[in-house]
Formats: sequence, structure tokens, C-alpha cells
Amino acid sequence: MGRSTNSSSSSIDSSNHPSLSCASSLQTKKDLSTDLRLGLNISTSSEIDNFSNNSREQSSDWPPLKPLLRSTLAEKGSNRQRTSYFVKVYMEGVPIGRKLDLFAHNDYDGLVRTLGQMFRTTILCPDIDGVLSDNDHVLTYEDKEGDWMMVGDVPWEMFLTTVKRLKITRADKC
Amino acid sequence: MASKRQKDSPEEEKKQASSFPDEVLECVLGFVKSHRDRSSVSLVCKDWYNAERWSRTHVFIGNCYSVSPEILVRRFPNIRSVTLKGKPRFSDFNLVPLNWGADIHAWLVVFASAYSFLEELRLKRMTITDESLEFLAKSFPNFKALSLVSCDGFSTDGLKAIVAHCKNLTELDILENGIDDLGGSWLSCFPENFTSLEVLNFASLNSEVNFDALERLVARCKSLKVLKVNKNVTLEQLQRLLVHTSQLTELGTGSFSQELTLREYSELESAFSNCKNLYTLSGLSEATSLYLPALYPACVNLTFLNLSDAALQSAELAKLLPHCPHLRRLWVLDTVEDKGLEAVGSSCPLLEELRVFPAEPFEQDVVIGGVTESGFVAVSQGCRKLHYVLYFCRRMTNSAVAAVVKNCPDFTHFRLCIMNPWEPDYLTKEPMDEAFGVVVKTCTKLQRLAVSGLLTDLTFEYIGKYAKNLETLSVAFAGSSDRGMQCVLAGCPKLRKLEIRDCPFGNAALLSGLERYESMRSLWMSACHVTMNGCRLLAREMPRLNVEVIKEDGSDDTHAEKVYVYRSVAGPRRDAPPFVLTL
Repeated sequence: MGRSTNSSSSSIDSSNHPSLSCASSLQTKKDLSTDLRLGLNISTSSEIDNFSNNSREQSSDWPPLKPLLRSTLAEKGSNRQRTSYFVKVYMEGVPIGRKLDLFAHNDYDGLVRTLGQMFRTTILCPDIDGVLSDNDHVLTYEDKEGDWMMVGDVPWEMFLTTVKRLKITRADKC
Repeated sequence: MASKRQKDSPEEEKKQASSFPDEVLECVLGFVKSHRDRSSVSLVCKDWYNAERWSRTHVFIGNCYSVSPEILVRRFPNIRSVTLKGKPRFSDFNLVPLNWGADIHAWLVVFASAYSFLEELRLKRMTITDESLEFLAKSFPNFKALSLVSCDGFSTDGLKAIVAHCKNLTELDILENGIDDLGGSWLSCFPENFTSLEVLNFASLNSEVNFDALERLVARCKSLKVLKVNKNVTLEQLQRLLVHTSQLTELGTGSFSQELTLREYSELESAFSNCKNLYTLSGLSEATSLYLPALYPACVNLTFLNLSDAALQSAELAKLLPHCPHLRRLWVLDTVEDKGLEAVGSSCPLLEELRVFPAEPFEQDVVIGGVTESGFVAVSQGCRKLHYVLYFCRRMTNSAVAAVVKNCPDFTHFRLCIMNPWEPDYLTKEPMDEAFGVVVKTCTKLQRLAVSGLLTDLTFEYIGKYAKNLETLSVAFAGSSDRGMQCVLAGCPKLRKLEIRDCPFGNAALLSGLERYESMRSLWMSACHVTMNGCRLLAREMPRLNVEVIKEDGSDDTHAEKVYVYRSVAGPRRDAPPFVLTL
């Protein structure tokens, strides 16, 4: 695991402070979480952070907490950190938009269902539903770079890090 | 049927005529319960040894590899209750690989022939398979109580066998185990005419049980005293259960958050009002200030409140505690913060034990939230009877610890975990040596100590010099040289368990304890500077110790990454997996 790097050297000078040699392994964990956070446009921890947290937690042996407590707290942690992330949603032809909490959903299916209820329409996914007629709607989003993209191509977690707003457009535009 | 003692030869009978008749001695010894006292009794003389072994009905084995089942049954013929502990404690924190051992099966096979009247089995950190559970259920017709804490190897299918076959079951206590949860149908396997249950704890199982089956079970088991359900049981379901269980002394609730109507809420409240006999309350996951007040009537006689599943805020805790005037033990999450601990100090004058667990243990950058040295001091100011503390925090100061032990000099268990390794005194930036120094100097009754923070050998000099009653010591990321460990081994005469990880202690330290290890239960050292040669030397010098090294993949051959040393009358393990080397 590389948790304690001092163990690999067989002779440790007693004048060396242990923290100097041991600190590096734990320091690495710290940096990893910071790096991941820098890549996101969301200030609070997103699900990607929780992913890396989870894999570290599984193999982590510090602080000394029993596994059940550890996993219960991990759940709690992710639940509480997950606050909300509201984005604007517009439907083409409708001037007044809505707002939707993306963090309240776990996947694209949930999102599409909610939007379908909100806008009283059926939103279709091109790859699943085959060829679309001009009267159908599809879901698009504006990403960090300002481009308008079709929803559903990238993994959900990645989508969350890059989406800024949603738009339901008519199929003939795509 | 208890085995009877054979009559002694006529010669011996003459000798004994003047001393206490055996039967009377055995009867008297029947009142000696503590296993340590019994151990002392057995050392008095041969007669007392024999009287003791015939009259003993409960045996406690702190390390399953220290003795073999054959030796056990030879010495004690009339055992009804066995408590066994297996893996080293650090296995709780993933430091011991899977399949390390501590499998109960070999014991069960021997018990099946020698102790057919076995009633109770309590296991901690052992491996038990579904096959073993089935074997257990079918081999002991009088079997009554099964308690599995931090065990692994089984699934809920194994529980089905116990539930279905043990007609006289009074206790089923399943706690914090690494098991395969294949669903909640095991609970439905209690026969419809089964009524003897007194203790049921399935709080740490994840899957949903059939609520109707649970309700029927609880309704017909009139002697039920302890009921701890899992998170899937809702508040509304809990209320239905409580209607049948006014005699409960320990309750673990399910999830404590649900949309309740006003009527449902008042039904819940009156259900809790009926629980006037509750001493212990736990569960309460997702409890919010909305429904906590329903609990208040049930808290009037509470002595133990376990809120480690309920992320309460300080205000919620402050409102709850005045309803628990007899509280002696409190477990909380650090979401209550220092303010919550101030409330503890002011509301719980009888408090003896406090455990504060971290809500976000893996967040290293947390700057707000959690508890600090002020919370610790605040508790000590109000709770002068405090003698057991387990405190997870991110910062501490030497002066705070000094203030705490000045207020509470009677600590028997002092476990302080400053979560960032090598963390110095928050104010002075100095090592935390003086903190633990003042603990061991002041708390003369100290039995258990866990140290943390930036510590030099000075801490261990203090421990060796002052901690004369210390039995268990846990050390992580501490010390400067071999001298630290040497001081402890030389200075603590009552030391039984020493567990060390990530410290700069090497062979000299390990070998300085040569004379000590036979009077201890065990020593664990991982990620220290001990080498294979050092371990071999120890093994050679002390043949009655088992010196085991756990080999990790990819570690170099000279370094002993994980060392486990323990005394044993059973010789080296015969069931060691390939990665455990017995030297």
C-alpha cells in the first residue's frame, strides 16, 4: 500500500524525525483529492470525489475505525456533502424556464423522467429510440466550454462536472 | 448431564478427611464468576485446581491460538458457555489479510463430543462459515445464546440454520460482522411456536426483514428484553413493535426519519411513553429534531445512549440530554461539536463513559466542524466521574489534556485519537508528550491507553515510569527510537496487550521484551523496523511463544512487515495460511 515509507529503509538515523519520512505517503492521499477537486467546476465535493474517497476508504486503515462504522460514515458523508446543484432548463418555444437539481438524480433515466414530468413531454434518446421524427424532443446541454451537446454520451458523473444548463430542443435541430 | 468426578483412592480420602469436602468446595466455587478469580483459585493447590475445573461452567479464551480445543475439554469437563476471541484487534482496521485464520470449526467439532450440553457461544473476531453455523445448530440441543461480534465468513443463510433449529434460543446477537447479507428471510425462519427469545440484535445487517414476521415474533416472545432492529425498520413499524414490548431494557431503533402524520407521531410518542424500563437506546439513524422529542419519555431511566449512528447537531443534543438524568455512558458523533459537548458537561453529572466518533474521518482538509480540545475540557468540567473516554479529534493541546485529567483523575481507559498522524500541540506546536505524561502520572488506575499526535520517546518514558496498572497500550505513528518501546516493556508490569503500528521500533526494542512476552497475551507490530532475523532470534530464545510474521506481496525478504507474537500452550498453529510464517 505504501502507507509507511519509512519501513523500506533498514537503518533509520535516530536524528531523523519520523514525520519527515512517513509524512510523504499520507501527503500523497491529500494531494490526490485536491487535484480531483481542481478539475471540477463544482465547489462542493461531487460524486467523483466520493468515488476516489470510497476506493481509498475500502483499503484505508487509518483512522482506526471499525469497517461498519467506516462505511456508515462514508454513506453519511456522501449524503451530507451532496448539497444540490440547480441548473436552468428551457424548452424550445417556451420563454419561461425551469430550474432542476441535478444532484437529486443518480442517472440519466431519472433526469429524463423528471424533465418529462416537468415539461409534460417525452424526451427521446436518439441511440435508444431509433430514428426521430421532427416533432420529437431531445435533451441537450451547454458545457463548460460553451458548446451545446447531446445529453447521454458521457458517463453521468462526468456529465455532472461539465453541465451548465439544459435545453429541450426539437429533434430536427440535431 | 454433567460429568461426575471419580472417587479418589482410599489413601487420598484419608488425607482429605480433615480438609474441606470436595462437593462443598465446588459449591462455594460456583459463586466465583470472574475468570481471573477462577484462575487464581486454580493456582492455590491441587485440590482447589481440581475443584475449580469441575465446577467451571463458563470459559473465556482471549486468544483462540493460545490453547487448543483438546486441552480445553480435558481440563474443563462441564462447560456450558464459551467466549472466544480470534484475530488481533488491528484486523478491525484492515491490517490483517483475509483468511488469516481463527476459524471456529475445529472447536465446534471437539465441543460436539465433549460439551453436548453447550448453551452459549460468544465469538469476537473469529471466522465462522454457514456450514459451521448449521453444525452448531444441529449439534447442541440445549443451545441458547449466540453472539457474533466482528466475525466473518458467514452469510444470512447460516443464520437461517440457527433460527430454524435452535428450539431454545434466547439470544441472537449479530454485531458488525463482515458477512454476506443475502436478504432478510432468515428472520422468517423462526418457527411459529417459538417464544423463548430474550435478545435479538440485527442492527448491523443491511437487508430488509419481513416486517410481519418480525412483528409476530416480537409479540409472542414475552421475555424479550433486548431488541435492536436495522435501518430498514421505519418509525411507523417501530411504533407497532413497541406496542408489544413494554418490558424492553435495550432498544435499537431503525431509521428515525419518516414522513409521519400528527396522529402517527402521537402514537409513536405514547409507544415510547410505555418504555419506562429502557436502560439502553441506540440506532436513531437519520434522527432529526423533528421526531427526537417523541423519544423523551423513554429516556427517563436511560444509562447508555448510543448516538453514533445519528448525526445530531449541538442544539438537538442539548435538548435531548436533560431528559436523560441517569446517563452513565454516551456515544456521539462529532457533529455535535464543542457546543454539544458543553451540553454534555452541564447535563450529565453522572457520566462515566464518553465516546466521540468522527462523522467525516477521511476528510483531511476539514477546518470547521468536529470537536476540539475545548469540548474535551468542557465535558471534564461537568462530568467528574468520567473514567472511560474514546475521543477522535483533529487538534488537541497538552494543557487541555492536563485540565481534563485534573478534573477527572480516575480514568481507567484513556483513548485519544488525534486523526492526523504526528499532529503537534495545536497551540504550542510542541510534541504531545506532556499530555500523556500527565495522564499516566495522575490516573493511577489507568488500565487502557491509546496515544496519538506527535510523540517522542519521552511519552514512553513517562508510560514506563508511571503507568503501573496499564494492561493495554495502542501506539501509532509515535516514538523516536527503540528506547520508547524498551521503556514500556521494562516499566509496565501488568501489560498484557501491546499493539504498535508505524513506529520506529526495531529489533533491539522487540528483543528487550524477551522476558515479558510470556506474561502478556500478545504483541502486534506492523510497519516498524523489525527484521526477519530479529523475529527468528526471538522465536529461538522463547520456544513457548508463537512468533508469526505476515508476509505481504512485494515486501522485501528481510523486513518483517507485520509481526504477531503470543504465548501459547498449543504450540505453533497447524492451520496457518501460506502468508503467515511461524518462526
